[in-house]
Parts: sequence; C-alpha cells; structure tokens
Amino acid sequence: MMKKFVEFDNVYKRYKMGEVTINAANGVSFSIDEGEFAVVVGLSGAGKTTVLNILGGIDSCDEGRIMVGGKDISHLGGKELASYRRYDIGFVFQFYNLIPNLTAKENVELATQICRNSMDADTALDSVGLSERKNNFPSQLSGGEQQRVSIARALAKKPKLLLCDEPTGALDYNTGKNILKLLQTKCREDGMTVVLITHNSAITPMANRVINMRSGKVISNVINPNPVPIEQIEW
Amino acid sequence: MKALRKNIFREIKNTKSRFISILAIIALSTGFFTGVKASSPSMMETGRQYFEDQNLMDIRLVSTVGFDDNDIRKIKEMDCTVDVMPSYMADLIISQDNIDTTVRVYSLPEKTDTNDRIINEPVVVEGRLPQKSGECVIESYYYNISDYHIGDTIKFNEKVQGKDTADTIKNLEYKITGVVYTPVHITYQRGNTTVGDGSVSFFIMVPSDEFISERYTNVYVTTTAGESGYSDLSDEYKELIEAQTEEYENLSKDRIREFNDTTLKDARQELDDAKKEYADKKAEAEKEISDGIKKLADGEKELNDKLLEAEEKLAQGEKELEESKAKLSDGQKEYADGIEDAKNKLADAQQQYSDGKTAYSKAKLEYDTEIAKAQNQLNAAETEYNTQYSLFYGTTKPQAETRLTLLKTGIDLCNEGIDKAEQEIQKLTDRLESPLQIGESIEVSLDPDEKINEQIDSLNEKLKEYRQKLDEYQKQYDEGIKQLAEGEKKLNKAKDQLDDAKSQFEEKKLEGAQKLNEAQIQLDEAQSKLDIGKLEYETAMNTGLLELQAAQTMISEGEKELENGRSELEKQKAAGLQALKEGREKLATGKAEARTKLNEAETKLKDAEKTIDKLQDAKWYVYDRDSNPGYSNLEEDALRVDNVATVFPIFFLLVAALVCLTTMTRMVEERRTEIGTLKALGYSNLSIAAKYFIYAALAAVAGSVIGAAIGIATLPFIIIDTYSMMYTLPTTKLVIPWDSFAFSAGTGILCTCLVATIACFGELKIRPATLMRPKAPKPGKRILLEHITPLWKHMNFTSKVTARNLFRYKARFLMTVIGVAGCTALIIGGLGLKDSITVIADRQYKEISIYDEIYALSEAGTADEKAYLMSQFHADKRFSETLLVSQNWTTFSYNNNRNKLNLRAIIGENNEQFEKIFILRDRQTHEKIELDNNGIVINERLAEVIGAKLGDTVSFTLNDDPYTAKVTGITENYAGNFMYMTPEFYQRLTGKETEYNIVYTQVAPEAKSNEREIANEWMQNEDIVTVSMLNEQLDSILDMLDSLNVIVFVLVICAGLLAVVVLYNLTNINIAERVREIATIKVLGFYNSETANYIYRENIILTIVGAGVGLPLGKLLATFIVMAIQMDMVMYPQQVNFISYFIGFALTLIFSMLVNFIMYFKMKKISMVESLKSIE
Repeated sequence: MMKKFVEFDNVYKRYKMGEVTINAANGVSFSIDEGEFAVVVGLSGAGKTTVLNILGGIDSCDEGRIMVGGKDISHLGGKELASYRRYDIGFVFQFYNLIPNLTAKENVELATQICRNSMDADTALDSVGLSERKNNFPSQLSGGEQQRVSIARALAKKPKLLLCDEPTGALDYNTGKNILKLLQTKCREDGMTVVLITHNSAITPMANRVINMRSGKVISNVINPNPVPIEQIEW
Repeated sequence: MKALRKNIFREIKNTKSRFISILAIIALSTGFFTGVKASSPSMMETGRQYFEDQNLMDIRLVSTVGFDDNDIRKIKEMDCTVDVMPSYMADLIISQDNIDTTVRVYSLPEKTDTNDRIINEPVVVEGRLPQKSGECVIESYYYNISDYHIGDTIKFNEKVQGKDTADTIKNLEYKITGVVYTPVHITYQRGNTTVGDGSVSFFIMVPSDEFISERYTNVYVTTTAGESGYSDLSDEYKELIEAQTEEYENLSKDRIREFNDTTLKDARQELDDAKKEYADKKAEAEKEISDGIKKLADGEKELNDKLLEAEEKLAQGEKELEESKAKLSDGQKEYADGIEDAKNKLADAQQQYSDGKTAYSKAKLEYDTEIAKAQNQLNAAETEYNTQYSLFYGTTKPQAETRLTLLKTGIDLCNEGIDKAEQEIQKLTDRLESPLQIGESIEVSLDPDEKINEQIDSLNEKLKEYRQKLDEYQKQYDEGIKQLAEGEKKLNKAKDQLDDAKSQFEEKKLEGAQKLNEAQIQLDEAQSKLDIGKLEYETAMNTGLLELQAAQTMISEGEKELENGRSELEKQKAAGLQALKEGREKLATGKAEARTKLNEAETKLKDAEKTIDKLQDAKWYVYDRDSNPGYSNLEEDALRVDNVATVFPIFFLLVAALVCLTTMTRMVEERRTEIGTLKALGYSNLSIAAKYFIYAALAAVAGSVIGAAIGIATLPFIIIDTYSMMYTLPTTKLVIPWDSFAFSAGTGILCTCLVATIACFGELKIRPATLMRPKAPKPGKRILLEHITPLWKHMNFTSKVTARNLFRYKARFLMTVIGVAGCTALIIGGLGLKDSITVIADRQYKEISIYDEIYALSEAGTADEKAYLMSQFHADKRFSETLLVSQNWTTFSYNNNRNKLNLRAIIGENNEQFEKIFILRDRQTHEKIELDNNGIVINERLAEVIGAKLGDTVSFTLNDDPYTAKVTGITENYAGNFMYMTPEFYQRLTGKETEYNIVYTQVAPEAKSNEREIANEWMQNEDIVTVSMLNEQLDSILDMLDSLNVIVFVLVICAGLLAVVVLYNLTNINIAERVREIATIKVLGFYNSETANYIYRENIILTIVGAGVGLPLGKLLATFIVMAIQMDMVMYPQQVNFISYFIGFALTLIFSMLVNFIMYFKMKKISMVESLKSIE
C-alpha cells in the first residue's frame, strides 16, 4: 500500500463578495499517494483552482486540514508558506508566467538560485528537450516551448509536488499532448507526484487517480489502475 | 453613455492611488507656481492700497532754509497742487550708555486746512497719538527691536553739534504714548543726516506745535497726479510726477530769489559784526599769549645759563679728582713694585738661611751618627773589658785561687802524709826492732815480721807517691800563681787600652761638639739677620699701605664732594625746570582760556557763517515718492520674488508634466482590452477616448484648484512675512494671480489630457481584434552591457536582471532620472541660495571691509584738531590700524534717472592704511586694484546696476553737486555699495579740500575682548560723536539675510514633496506593470524581502543616477536663482557648499527610501492568484 502523500480533510474556503459568501471549497476531502499522477477535473467554478491554490501555498483555507508529505500546511504563516512553496512545490501555470525580460535559461535560474538542492538549469532545460533554445527570450519561443521552460523551471527546484494549472489550456492540441506527455514521463520516470487540474475530462485516462469536483465538493476520487499513455488518448 | 460614465467613476475608485498621484503632482506644481506668483502682486497691492489709504504725498519739498507762510501759500496756489501739509523735522541725539543714537523727530501729520485730510497719515499699532506737550509716538519697526515700551521716556541730549536742543523743540523729554508706522518709511532705512554718524536710527512724532522754529522744514504735497487714478507704480503716474516736479522746481527758484533779497541780507550784517568781534578778541588773546611766551623764554634762558656755569665747575672738580686718582694709581704701582722687590730679597735670604740650616742639620746628623758609632765601639770595648775583668776576678782568679788553695792543701796533705809515713816507717822500723805493743797485736799477729816489712815498703811507696804528688802540686801551684799574675797583667793592659780609647773618644766628641756649636752660632746669626730683614720689609709695607690709604681717603672725599656738587646742581636744575614748567602751564592755561574764548567766538562766527552759507546757497529740493527710502525697493523686491517664482515652478511643472505623461500612457495601456472591447461593441473613438480624457481632466482640474487654493493661501503670506523684516506694511492684501493660475493649471490640465488623448488614440488606431488580445509584453532584449562579456559574466544573476530591466524600460528610466534629478536640483538650488546668503557676511567683513569700530568725528573739528586726534588714535596700541576717512553719501541715478541709488563715497586719508582696511580686488582673480588719482573705483554690484564698465565715465551727485568721473576699477563687494577715490582726485574733481569725518579702526587681536570698553573710553573724547561696532551691526545684517531662509525652507519642502510624489508615481507604475511578474516570483517561493529587493534594486539605481545628475543641475539652478534675486544693495556670491550637495543627494535618497517603504506594503499585498489569471 502506497503512502498517502497529500491529504485534504474537510477543507473549506469562503470568499465574501459583498453580502454574498461563496464557498469555493465546501468541505473538500481527498488524498493522493506518493508518485501518483492525479488529475482534478471539473467544470469552471467547481473549486479545482481553489484546491490547487491552497495546495500550492498560494492561498489559505478557512477550515480543515491539509497534510503534504506528513506536514500540516493549513496553518502556516506567510513566511513559512513561502518556504513551503520554495522547497516543496513546483508550479506550472496555464499562461507559463515566464519573465519576459529573462532568457529561458535565466527563467530557470530564477527558480534555482533560491533553492538549496536545485538541479542545474541546463540539465533541467535538457530534460524538457529545450537544449537549443536556452538563450532565447520567451517572446522568441512558441507557446509549447514556453510551457516547457515553465515545466523546466518547476522541475529544476526538485519539488516534492508538481502542481499544474491547466497546463495545456493555452496550447493547441498537439502541443498540449506533448506537454502532457512530458509531465506523464516525469511522473513515471522520476516518481514525482503530479497534480494537474483541467476542465477537460478526456485526459483523465492518463492519470493514476482522478478526482472529480463539482460545486466545491469532491464527488468522486477514483484510482485508475491502468493509466493509458497519452498518445492513445484522443479528444 | 451612462455605462461609460459609471465606468469612469469606477475607474477612479479602483485606481485611487493613480488618480491621487496625478492630482497631487498637478496640485503641487500649480500650488507652488500660483502661490509664489501671488506673492509679488500681493506685495505690490498691499503697498498700493496702503499708500492710498494713508494718503501718501506725491511730492515732498525740502528747503535748506525752510519755508515760511508765503512759500506755503505759493505752493498752494499752484495748479497741480491738490493739498499741502507743511511740517517740521529735526534730527536730535539720545545718549545712552555712552552711545549716541540719532533720532529723527517729525511733526505729527495734521489735517490740511484746504481739504481736511491728513497727508501721510500714520497708522497707530499700539497706544494712542500724543495729546499734550511732552508726548510722542515711536515708530513700530524700531519699537519691536528696541527696549522701549509705551510709557517710557525718550530724553534728548541738551546739545546737538553745539546747538541747543531747546532751540529746536520745546521739551527735552518725551513720553511714548503709542507706536505707529507711516507710509513715508516702509523699509528699515531711515535716511541720512548731517548729525552724528550720518544715519538715523529711528523716528518719533510729536505734535507740530512742539517745534520752536518759525520756518517749516518739509512740505508734503498731494498733486493731481495722485488723483489721476493711475496706479502709483505705473509709467503714466511717473511721467506726470516728473512734469510736476519740474513745476515745483521752477517755483522754488522764484522763492529763493525773494529769500536772498530779504532774509539773507540781515544774516550777512550779523556775520560781519561777529567777524569783527572775533578779530578783536583774537588779536587781544594772541598778544597776551605772545607776552607769556616771551617771559617764559627769558626764564628758560637764565636757568640754562646758571646750569651751564654749575656744570663747568663740577667738571673742573671732576678733572682734579681724576688727576689725584691717576697719582694714586702711580703710587699704588710703585708700592706694589717695592713690595715685590723686598719680597724677592727676603725670599733669597730665607733661601740662604734654610740652605745653611740644611747643611747644619746634615753635619749634626753626621756628627751624631759618628759619635754614636764611636760611643758604641767604646761601649763594646768597655763591656768586653768589664766581662774580662769580671771573668778574671769573678771566676778565673777565685777558681785559680781555690785550686791553689786546694793545691796547697794537697801539698800540706802530702807533707803531712810524708811525715806520717816517715813516722810510721820509723815506728815500724822501731817495732821491728821492738816487740809489738798490745794494740797492735792483731795485725802484727798476722804477719808480724813480714807484714811490717811489707807495710814499711808500702809506706815507702806511699811516701814516694806523696812526694811525687807534692812535686806535682807544687808545680801546678806555682804555675797557677804565675798564670794568675799573667791574667792580672793582661787585664791591666786592656784597662789601659780602654782608658786610652775613652780619652780619645772624649776628645773627638768634644771637638765635634765644638764644631757644631760654631755652625749653630753661625746659623743663629743668619736667623737673626733674616728676622731683621723680615721686620724691615713688613714695616716698609705697612708704611706704604698707610700712605696709599691716606691718598684713597683723599680721593673719596673728593668724589663725595663732587657728588654733593652734582646733586646740588640737579636740585637747582629741577627747581628751575619746575619753575619753568609752572610758567608754561600758566601759559597753557592762559592760552587754553584764550582759545576757549576764541573758539566760542569762532563757533559763533562759524554758526553765523554756516547760517549764511546755508542761506547763501539756499535751495529747495523737490522729491517724489521714489525718494522715500525703500519705496522703489518694494517694487524691486516684489519683482525678485516673481523671478524666483518663475524659475522654480516652471521646473516643477516640467517634472509634473513628465510624470503625468508616464502615468496616463500606462493607464491607457492597461485598459487596452477594454478599449478593444468597447470598440468592438461599436463605441465611437471619441466616446472611448472621452473616458481617459475626463479621467485626466478631473485629476488635473481638481489638482490645480486644490493646489492653487493651498498655494495662494500659504505661500504669499510666508514670503511676504519674510519681507516684513525689511518692510513695515499693513496686513497683506492678497491678490489672486489669475493669469498665473490659468497658466499653470492650463499647462497641467493640457499636459495630462493631451497625453491621455494621444495615448488613447494611439491604441484606438489598432484594430479591435488585436486590441482584445493581450498586448505582447515588451519582448526581452539583449542589452549593450551583455556584449561586454567579461563584465556581464562577473555580474550576479540579480544584477543582470536589474541591468536588463533598467534598459528595457528606457522611458521609465529617463522619466525617473529626470524627475529625481529635478528634485535633487531643487533642493540644492534652495540650499545653494542659503549658502550664498550666509557667506556674504564672512566675505564682506573678513575679506573685504576689515574693520571693527567706526568713530564719527564732530564736524566742527579743524584739520589740525583731526590730525591731533589721529595721533591719539595711532598712539592707542589697542588699535592695530586706524584710518581717517571722508565718508559722504553720493547718489547715482540709473534707468533714465528713474531709480536712484544712495551709497557711500569713501576717501581714505592715508593710502597705506586704506589698503589694509578696504581691500580692493577683482572678484575672480583676486588681483589688487590700485586706487589712483585718475578716477574712482566702484564696487561690482553698483557697476552692474548702473551699467558701468571699466573705463566708462559715470555721473553722480556728491554733496548735492553733480560730477562725472572715470571708473578706473571695479572691486569685489557684497553688502552695500561704495565708491572710492583718493583725496587728490577728490580735490581735482571738486576743487575742495577733503573734509574727513570718520575714523575706521581695526582692534588688535589681544584687545578684541574689550571692544566695548575701548569704544566707551573713546566716546569720552569730545571730538567723537558716535561709534558703531561691526559686531553689533553684523547681527542685524545677519538677521536680515536670514529672512530669506524661509524661502529656502519652502523650496526644500516643496522639492521634497515633489520627490516623494514623483518617485511614488514611478514606483507605482513600475509595480503595476509587473504585478504578474511579482506574483510569479512569489509563487516561485521568493520571500517578501527578496521580492522587494528584486524590484527596488532598479529604483535605487535610478534614484542614485537621478540624484547624481541633479548635482550639476542644482548648481546651475542655484546660480540662476542667485542672479534672479540680486538686490541693488547686495551682491550674492555664487556658492554651493559641499554639504548642500550632500544634503540634496542624501535627502533625495531618503525620500526614495520613504517611497520604497510605502510601496513595500503595497507589494506585500499583491495576491499570487494574479499570476494565474490570464493576461488581459
């Protein structure tokens, strides 16, 4: 039996919009084992981004408990959260969020220079297949390439947990597939725990675990014993 | 359209800080500009209103001989005259703590009889106007800085320059009942006077009937020019007044003619009488004095003769004494020689004697030794003999005698034995022949026959033995006897020998002793001879000494006598001199008395002459308002403020416009998608642009209004308040400078709106489809620095990022640098102004005019008296330099005679001392300027104001007469204006002798601490009227200059505010543009401090670069401001101290830190969720 690496226990997150209170996370409970490729799926507003934000230490929860690698992160302060993000989390954004004024390599270095145990920037870029474009600025790269830089930046930190927020959302079909493949490979080969959120339920077969959300609640948490390689998935 | 309007207000609400920052920067620049701009017109308007309200005269008439009622009537009759107010004025002196203060006493302005209005109506600040005789009001300016209080009494000296105060004014003491100020004196300047040191300290006003004079001194006139409705600062008014001045001058000529025909004649008569009286008295006195002098001279001659005689006698005595002294010294020498000779001889004798003595001693020693030796031998022989003798008699002889006795005994025994033996033999032979007897029976029984035979035989034997023995003994005995006799004989012989030796020894001893005795006797004789010699020598010496002493005593006595003679002479001489001195003193007293009398007469004469002089050259002076001290300065000062107001705020506006530009451009860029959407929805370009235009306009209009309101409400008051140090004006009347407001607000509004519109239309040109897509972020680019590989390689990661960011946003780079540089420059400009101001006093009084105390001399003194006074000054070692100076007020006209500049013409009596006190030099090269006899030297500021250059010929009025002279030098000077010339040039120029009236002194360093005492001491001197000390003056000068500090303060505060706003704005934009970037790096796990560092690094570098650029800009600005505010009387050295640069730089950095600190919280609040949003 695999160890539970991520554990959400009855997590609530409320936003107050004037007089209306929105329960973005309304008692979310689930767990993910170490080394799993987990996909959180749901429609817009289902609360998956909230879950990802809380998990990534970007946002905080109002109630409940979140355990990551045996550490309770639900009550961490600003500075502790920053350390958590720094050492434990790799984040892949939907819009890549590369610093336009830095080259691909420098964007990776931006992450590595603050970590203790980081990977060499060149190695990270090599591993995502971008050895040739290291010295290009983001504006000189295609979307897929930019997302690869973003992944390299996340991986270079050697995080315990790789969080991906709709990584293919801004990419075309094939490029998106390539990116997903890269993520799946990284998960399989390096044994990294990956949590990916998407509204596209078509890609769920590639995951070890599929968490389905609706209206701020987890409606199903299914383990897929036979994940399918991404190449075989069409949507 | 409703939605659009809502959109605008929401926009404002959502971007509060942007809106406020645009508003603030517009407010700041508009407020500063309008505020400072309002100062100048407010100042002028305050003055104008004040002059109107107090009915300031248009023309002031002053006459050297005063005015009578006829004059007044004639003036009234003139067409241009509206109103006339005749009045009195007198300059009197107050002495307090040995300091003379000159007070100008005015008659209190009264209602005119024609118009029932008061001309030059004073404003009562405190208390009330005088109501009865002995009361006065004091001016407010002096009242505020002096110790006077209402109720205090002002007490005048009884005399002012020999003239009784009582002849001028009814009372000597006036009680202060109130404090006033008057439109005639709006500055602290109180004008010049012929009394005291030439300057008036303050004025008081007393009712006009307090004045005793019959003639009015001043006549104040209001003319039709004043009623014309033109502003008194307008050119129209000035033209009118000029024309009217001429009319009054024409009138004055008529009036003077009439005066000469009447009043002057009487005065001439009086003078002639006085002259005669003086001549008589003078002759008399002179005769008396000359008699006295003659008597004194005779007495002196007699005394001298007597003294001469006595001296001769003394000299003779002295000569004699000298001779005896010489003799004595000869005798002394002789005596010494004789003594020496005798001494030598004695020494020889002594030597001989001691030689003899030595020889004798030697002989004696020899003799003694020999005697002792002989004695010893003798003794030994005697001892030997005695031994022998005692041996012989003691031992040998007795022994021999004993032996002999023994031998005799033996012989006897032997004889006896023989006898016995023969008897026996007989007996035996008998027996043999006879029987034996009974007793013998036994023996005989043994062997009676044979034995007897045997016995007989033995006996025979024995007998034989005996006989033998006897023979032997006998022989021995005889021999013994013989020996003994022989021994005795020998002894006797030895004795004889000994006795011989003894007698020989005795003989020899005797002989030696005799010889020694003889030697002794000889020696003794020598001794006695020596003694006699010694005695003789001593006697001779003593005698010589005595003689010498006697001579010495004689000489001493002679000397004493001589001494007595001398002291007698001294006594007599002293007595004679005393008598002479007394005589002289008497003469001096007499002379002084005569002098005093003469002086009195002379003074009278002089007075009379002066009166005549004055009367002779009787003249009216016609003055307009410009002649009022400070009247024209008010306008100048106002203009100066205006100059500063123009320089600074334009700079300000420029920076503000730049900031608005960046801000608005950014705003439009941010709203790109919205613009695209609206466009796609079909809104017209205009209505879309309207939002940004209105947003900008709202901010700019609100900012302008708020800024202007605050600026106008504060700055004019602050600035005018600083000038109130120099001007006495009523409460400021605010004039709103609509034009300036319009200009600055317009510029601000126009800039912002234009920028907003242009930026907006720039975006609108793009097709909506493109617009709706997020604008591609400015692509990253390699910067130039990266190509310098060695440098780039050595930079760390963050430095690289910073460097790239700096050059990526060039516009922002430029904006920030310009904005920050502007702030630094403004601060340095302000501080530089202060530096220039504060350095004035030091430069002026430590480098250029080096004096400590100035003494004003009384005018009555003659040239000789002044020379004598100067010798006293020179003799006072507490002064290191003293210089007699002629100091007169001279007037330069410039600006087509519109403006007048009063300044001091200085003529130093002695060029050497002059050069030590007045340093004439070129400002830039510090090269010495020589004062020669070909022209005048003027100071730089004066040359600038009147527009004169080196070698130009300038015209000026000196002692009321016009002259022209060539400018031969232009000298460095900061405070005040001066004209210098040599006495020779003055004489050539005016044809008059220089009249010296002032003594400039430098106090020696060691006496600096008691400057006040020195001054007080000198004030006791009758010839000195006033003293002014630089130290005390300096304080008031510094106070005055300090007033400008307020402006500096305002400047620095505004510059600081500007710095904060600019930096805030730019940092705000910087952060807004990079929210996504900041959120991303936060997600990456940057701590807050690291994030701040990431952003601020750029800010800090930009600030430092900007502040650095601001340094030279600041210097430029300071130079410009200093040039703009030059006064006629003061030249500001252009100086920016290092510390000012430092403060400017440091303050900018501090402001930047402040902004960074504020922005830190803003950055901290940036939500990381932003990073997840799609690019808008």
